[in-house]
Amino acid sequence: MGILEKISGVLADILDVEASDIEAETYLIRDLNVESIDMLEIAVSLNAAFNIKVSENDIFLRNLRPYLIEAEDKGQAQAPCLVEKFPFLTPDRVQEILADLDSGPVLKVKDLAGFVAYQTR
Amino acid sequence: MSRIVVITSVGVISSLGHEPGRIMEHLRNDRVCFEPSPVDEKVPACPVRDFDVRQFLGRFKNIRYLSRGARFCVAAAMEAVRNSGLDSAMLDRAGLFVGTGPNLDVGGECPEISSGRIDEDALQALWILRFLPNTPSCVIASLAGIHGENLTISTACSASLQAIGEAFRKIRSGYLNMAFAGGGDSRLSAGGILAYRKAGALLTANGDSETAYAPFDCSREGFVPGEGGAFLLLEDLEHALNRGAKIWGEVCGYGNSMDGYNMTAPHPDGRQAEAAVRAALKEAGMTPDQVDAVSAHGTGTRLNDEMEAGLIDRVYGARPKVIALKSWFGHLSAACGALETAVCLFCMQDGWLPPVRNLKSPCHVRVNFVRNPIRDTPRTMMIENFGFGGQNAALLIRRWT
Repeated sequence: MGILEKISGVLADILDVEASDIEAETYLIRDLNVESIDMLEIAVSLNAAFNIKVSENDIFLRNLRPYLIEAEDKGQAQAPCLVEKFPFLTPDRVQEILADLDSGPVLKVKDLAGFVAYQTR
Repeated sequence: MSRIVVITSVGVISSLGHEPGRIMEHLRNDRVCFEPSPVDEKVPACPVRDFDVRQFLGRFKNIRYLSRGARFCVAAAMEAVRNSGLDSAMLDRAGLFVGTGPNLDVGGECPEISSGRIDEDALQALWILRFLPNTPSCVIASLAGIHGENLTISTACSASLQAIGEAFRKIRSGYLNMAFAGGGDSRLSAGGILAYRKAGALLTANGDSETAYAPFDCSREGFVPGEGGAFLLLEDLEHALNRGAKIWGEVCGYGNSMDGYNMTAPHPDGRQAEAAVRAALKEAGMTPDQVDAVSAHGTGTRLNDEMEAGLIDRVYGARPKVIALKSWFGHLSAACGALETAVCLFCMQDGWLPPVRNLKSPCHVRVNFVRNPIRDTPRTMMIENFGFGGQNAALLIRRWT
């Protein structure tokens, strides 16, 4: 079973939704209404499912916006700053995120998959 | 002048069905759901077959924090909410009084601990929620949008009757106009069966599960665990009339007390249990001869039934008809009082009382046990529950005409 499929199964279980409704491009907060309590459960389940240490701050892109403000304050470029803070995000994904900021929380299922792939590489 | 409190909605999840017509049909046709427990075939149990909480709640992520007992509790509450027809503004002001038991599903839900090390990988982040008594209440509040005064009561087998009683008093004294009250429970898991088996309280039978459970019979040897839930909507009469609500009955009086005697056994002389019954009569301004029927706790344990038959004889004499609903759906533990009250309302409305099942040789000669189904329309009924630890509760209800 691929990483994405396994993650969809975990999310479907925790959120009581159909796994087939979860795709790589699905937003966790915008589409699946994930709350902080759900993130706790998702972290614990991914921990067990992939036998990795899941940092909630990393996998859920916490502090993404404070990091961007910090970069701006220091006069640094935003993209390299995000790549440094979240090394599991590809440069392409970072560009996507930066373009998507005004539409709401950016976290997608594929970011979780990226995190897991990076941790298990 | 205190207010009159009436019952304006009922929600039930039981082994005999989930709505009044179905339940009465089962009672009239002597159909029950007792069967050997899958975890111990010598123990008869009374499961709610094919129960799926999503049938009542739809898909809902917080189901993950509900034990089986909690699922019955939430499902029954949401049935009562649905049947009430209350809009969101009214639900916003309603109260919520919930009787719950412990989660005894210890097989799969407690972490394995060996040599001081806990295997926590399989646990949810918030697995504690499955063990907090107020989890069902929080889930009901969020699903239904109920935000008023509330209380979670975990007083063993008198819990849900006390929940109804406390809601009654809050409305009667003007703190609330409406409150949902009841409970849900299940003790059929391996942990639940083990708990009561070790306590020596369960009936064991090698024969037919349907004929073995005989409350108030000389041959009785213990109770049969059941599961399910029930909730009522209690409401100020004027409030109910103003919105044209269907009225099922009136709550007239409530009493509760503690034995302060033994951790499991009732006090044999039943004086404190009697005090709870007399308190309910006093609050209703009634005398024992105005009670037409008694829904007994009637667990089928030697100690409860002997104490309770003596109490009934002392307080009411031979006049009221006595039924024992646990003989129909088993002992619902924390939820027994709510389901028994709901079924009493159905029986009063139908004008029909079910017999105490399997009663051949009554343990008390003067008590007027219902032996055969009878057409009877009791005007008033007393519901009695006496729980582990000497928790006593009694509720007096009146038919609405």
